[in-house]
Amino acid sequence: MAKAIKQIRKEAPNPEAEQSKAITDIVAALAENREAIMATIGIVRQLHDMGVLDTVNGLLEKRVDVGVIAVQQLNQPNMHNTIKNGMNAFNFLGQLNPEQLQTVLNGVGQGMEKLAKNIDKHEKVSLWQLGNSIRNPEIRTSLTTMLGFLEGMGEAFQGDKRELH
Amino acid sequence: MKESSSSFSFQINGKEYVAYPGQTILEVAQANDSYIPSICYHPNLGTIQTCDTCFVNAGGEMVRACSTKAEPGMKVDTLSQPVKDAQYEAMSRILKNHELYCTVCDNNNGNCVVHNTAEYLEIEHQKYKFEAKPYPPDHSHPFYRYEPDQCILCGRCVEACQDLQVNETLTIDWEREKPRVIWDNDVPIDESSCVSCGHCVTVCPCNALMEKSMLGEAGYLTAIPPSVLAPMIDLTKEVEPGYKEIFAISEVEAAMRKARIKRTKTVCTYCGVGCSFEVWTKDRQILKIEPQEHSPVNGISTCVKGKWGWDYVNSEERLTKPLIRQGDEFIESTWEEALTLIASKLTSIKEQHGPDSIGYIASSKCSNEENYLFQKFARAIMGTNNVDNCSRYCQSPATAGLLRTVGIGGDSGSIRDIEKSELVIIVGANPAESHPVLATRIKRAHKLHGHKLIVADLRENELAERANLFVHPKPSTDLIWLSAVTKYILDQGWEDKQFLQNRVNGLESYIQSLDKFTLDYAEEMTGITKEELIKLATMIHEANSACVLWAMGVTQHKGATDTSTAISNLLLITGNYGRPGTGAYPLRGHNNVQGACDFGTMPSWFPGYEPIQDEQVRKRYEKAWGVSLPKDPGMDNHQMLEGVKKGKLKSLYLFGEDMAFVDSNVNFVDTMLEDLEFFVVQDLFLSKTAQFADVILPAAPSLEKDGTFVNTERRIQRFYQVLEPLGDSKPDWLIFQELANHLGANWNYQHPSEIMDEAASLAGYFAGVSYERLEGFNSQIWPVAKDGTDTPLLFEEGFEFADGKARLIPLEWTPPFEAGDEYDLHLNNGRLLEHFHEGNMTYKSEGLTHKVPHPWLEVSLELARERGLEDGSLVRLTSPYGHVKVRAIVTERVTGKELYLTMNTREDEEAVNRLTSSYHDTVTHTPNYKEMSVKMEVLEEKGESPLPKVNYRFGNRLPQISVRVEEKWKREDFTPISELFELGGDEFGESNQAN
Repeated sequence: MAKAIKQIRKEAPNPEAEQSKAITDIVAALAENREAIMATIGIVRQLHDMGVLDTVNGLLEKRVDVGVIAVQQLNQPNMHNTIKNGMNAFNFLGQLNPEQLQTVLNGVGQGMEKLAKNIDKHEKVSLWQLGNSIRNPEIRTSLTTMLGFLEGMGEAFQGDKRELH
Repeated sequence: MKESSSSFSFQINGKEYVAYPGQTILEVAQANDSYIPSICYHPNLGTIQTCDTCFVNAGGEMVRACSTKAEPGMKVDTLSQPVKDAQYEAMSRILKNHELYCTVCDNNNGNCVVHNTAEYLEIEHQKYKFEAKPYPPDHSHPFYRYEPDQCILCGRCVEACQDLQVNETLTIDWEREKPRVIWDNDVPIDESSCVSCGHCVTVCPCNALMEKSMLGEAGYLTAIPPSVLAPMIDLTKEVEPGYKEIFAISEVEAAMRKARIKRTKTVCTYCGVGCSFEVWTKDRQILKIEPQEHSPVNGISTCVKGKWGWDYVNSEERLTKPLIRQGDEFIESTWEEALTLIASKLTSIKEQHGPDSIGYIASSKCSNEENYLFQKFARAIMGTNNVDNCSRYCQSPATAGLLRTVGIGGDSGSIRDIEKSELVIIVGANPAESHPVLATRIKRAHKLHGHKLIVADLRENELAERANLFVHPKPSTDLIWLSAVTKYILDQGWEDKQFLQNRVNGLESYIQSLDKFTLDYAEEMTGITKEELIKLATMIHEANSACVLWAMGVTQHKGATDTSTAISNLLLITGNYGRPGTGAYPLRGHNNVQGACDFGTMPSWFPGYEPIQDEQVRKRYEKAWGVSLPKDPGMDNHQMLEGVKKGKLKSLYLFGEDMAFVDSNVNFVDTMLEDLEFFVVQDLFLSKTAQFADVILPAAPSLEKDGTFVNTERRIQRFYQVLEPLGDSKPDWLIFQELANHLGANWNYQHPSEIMDEAASLAGYFAGVSYERLEGFNSQIWPVAKDGTDTPLLFEEGFEFADGKARLIPLEWTPPFEAGDEYDLHLNNGRLLEHFHEGNMTYKSEGLTHKVPHPWLEVSLELARERGLEDGSLVRLTSPYGHVKVRAIVTERVTGKELYLTMNTREDEEAVNRLTSSYHDTVTHTPNYKEMSVKMEVLEEKGESPLPKVNYRFGNRLPQISVRVEEKWKREDFTPISELFELGGDEFGESNQAN
């Protein structure tokens, strides 16, 4: 005769036993990863000494409030420009041919050297001398290059205009 | 398959493609992995024409690829600039309605159609400014939300609701200034006629319709509170250099999600239809159910239980440790203690009273492998054929009726045949609630393709409402009208003479046996008028293909096997077997009723329906198992309980079955269970049945193990382990193996696939079944030949008898059980859409309980008037066997003195089987659940309605075909895209035509 029953006597989980098992597991894991743990403790101590942990803790505790402020700060016209400019600059760098850039940067480097020397000399240059320097092949090459640059830039400007139609 | 002779070729972008007549350009492209953008088109839904992203140039005209049929020699271009510009314009219009914040969107899982299409079309900027719609999101429904601001008005959800699920709840109101999707006449979702099937959510190409279980859970950043999220979205939009970068980030994030969201294929366990889908989980948390286009039975269809009803898996009430009865309580034990106790008890009972003093009841909810192993355990280890499953409570009479007439006791064809059939006849079944996804195919064929539908039932259920002909026979008289219709068909000379001559035996004596079933006799006995009977016969005669679907309304009667036989006789006389769209379909109620029977948990059959008494068969199993096996058929469920009463049966081992609720006359069942000397129950929960046990073993549900099920079509499908078994629970097959090994069996199955391999090597029907062939969403419909060829449609060559001929069986009508004159109301009973059976699993879902908290009693308008009843009245029903106390709902679904009591309760005093008797079908011993009368006492005239107003039954459907895109095109603010982009001759290969 077995009547229908609903009562279940559950083995009440023994908190002490469960805790002691948890501690054993943790100690075993610590021992196994001794070096990594010791290094981590060193890092944590440094962070604590610097007050970083306190700051991070504050940030985490108030993460929603902080998030709102942070996003609001980012969501300002100036910041929009900064981010956009940053991204445009990245795009610009991506478009450049590295070899060409290398040549131009080499040129700029040498140009800077000359420029510095000229500044040191504190020389006054007459218009005649300036005109004569056109004969100098190095200056001619540089000017031609600059003209090419101006031409390309002009094309880009005009291209932009054309697309507006 | 279409014949290759009718195929033709045409070109897309200069490449040749093969097409069949009727195929659209988009269909051919998709079949050949050639990409044409398309957002509103879905292969399971068809053409909708709202999104306009599929514009292509076909022979010089700008057309939609989704609605333009491919033609021989046609040249299609999808890449030239005007085409791309048109597609770009369409996408830009969509983005006016949809804000792209993909990385913080829970739908960013790599399969977002809007995201992927925008990315393909290289959308760089918002051409038209995004405009929020003036409607708040609708969070009223427990399972899903609608966010109008994200809704692109593609109408996929509407198409799915109107024409695939055919519940007809959703429409788009194109009239208003800002169109949106509405439910019924624009009511909150929860108060609408929505049946929560989930179709709309599954097909939504973005995040407008989302499972609530996904919100804030799927993404890494999606749980961000709105106060941070809104400015973040603004910021992103403000500084974005273009969408390309956004897409790059969102793709990285989507890829990261795959690291923590697991997608696993499984097969639904809530009915015999066998829907398959992926379960998305994050640790043990179930994020969503996602059916797939290529799910073989259901495509993207699901029902409310399959889509949402999985909370039980993580329920606090799950059993997690073996329990042993000690006095008036159960105490937790180890597996070793429990199994040792069971092994020693079973051994001593077997030694003392013989092997046949122990019975084994299997589960139609568990896998084929588990059923196979359980019958092997009973037969090979315990030496008895006393093994049965719950098909004894439902479909055994259908199986018996078909075995008699056509030789195989299963559905004749697949769901494809049902959707193809010109005439579907449903007798005593309510597929819209009990087999919801199968019903969708019937409703779709009826609504869109004009297929005919006849329903014979006591209740005007949903399919009855939609039917071309609904007949209401007097209870338990189906055999009479079926026979009368058959006789009328023969009298008219409408029988399929050639079919009968070539393929059927016993015609002469059968015709003679029909003599008494005249239309007059039938009208008198069944209450169906002669006109209706003639109309019924005429409709069958006029249909080129007909099939009959039936369930418990036929099988739970004293004459159940004979009525099932009468259905099969009718199909034979009219030649409706062995052709596409024809046949007999006993709809299996549980996910694996078919499989439990197929794999041998039956007292007189080995797996694959080979008789125990056949010596050669027995020898085969004896050799394979290395034992000698008992020769005589064992007891069925019914006989086991009778056996307890007679003192012959001392012990029961039962798994996955709540017989103390679902067997008929549970008053008797309870007493018998109390009388058992030793009772083992294996279950997920402390079910009513388990409360009688001496030992309870905690089992693991389908999501926590591997295995296969067989659905109502005879389709074998694999399900995969999603989660680890909870606590100390274990898969049933593993428990059987461990117990067998405690009894010295030395079994060593490492995986269910090994069990299937063994079954396939022994049972001819499954010769070619293997886990490799069932990989993923692949399936096989038995009989499966050794080479893996399966049989979706039976009897094309011959019937399953030695001479290949079917048999007509003469029948007598069996009058139903009469309770006596004082019991003046007929009691019908059964399942309902939202809960599975008594609700052990589905009540664990808060949402399902919100929709249906209680069982209810349906009473007719007439009876309500006569007895002063209204929604919420409390009544006591009394039968000769017991009584229940339930609240009423007044409805037109039932008429006169017929009642309907739903079975979704775990309370004794509401359980319908307190009222039912122990009478049964004469052949199969299936109880006559549907033959009971009761008397009614009104206890309280007023009370709270058992069905809340948020139930779909109170909704107000708005039927229409598709989304009515013509109304969108008529709007003043709509300019056809084809007008904007002119084609200048042959565009193919042109470079730049910028406008």
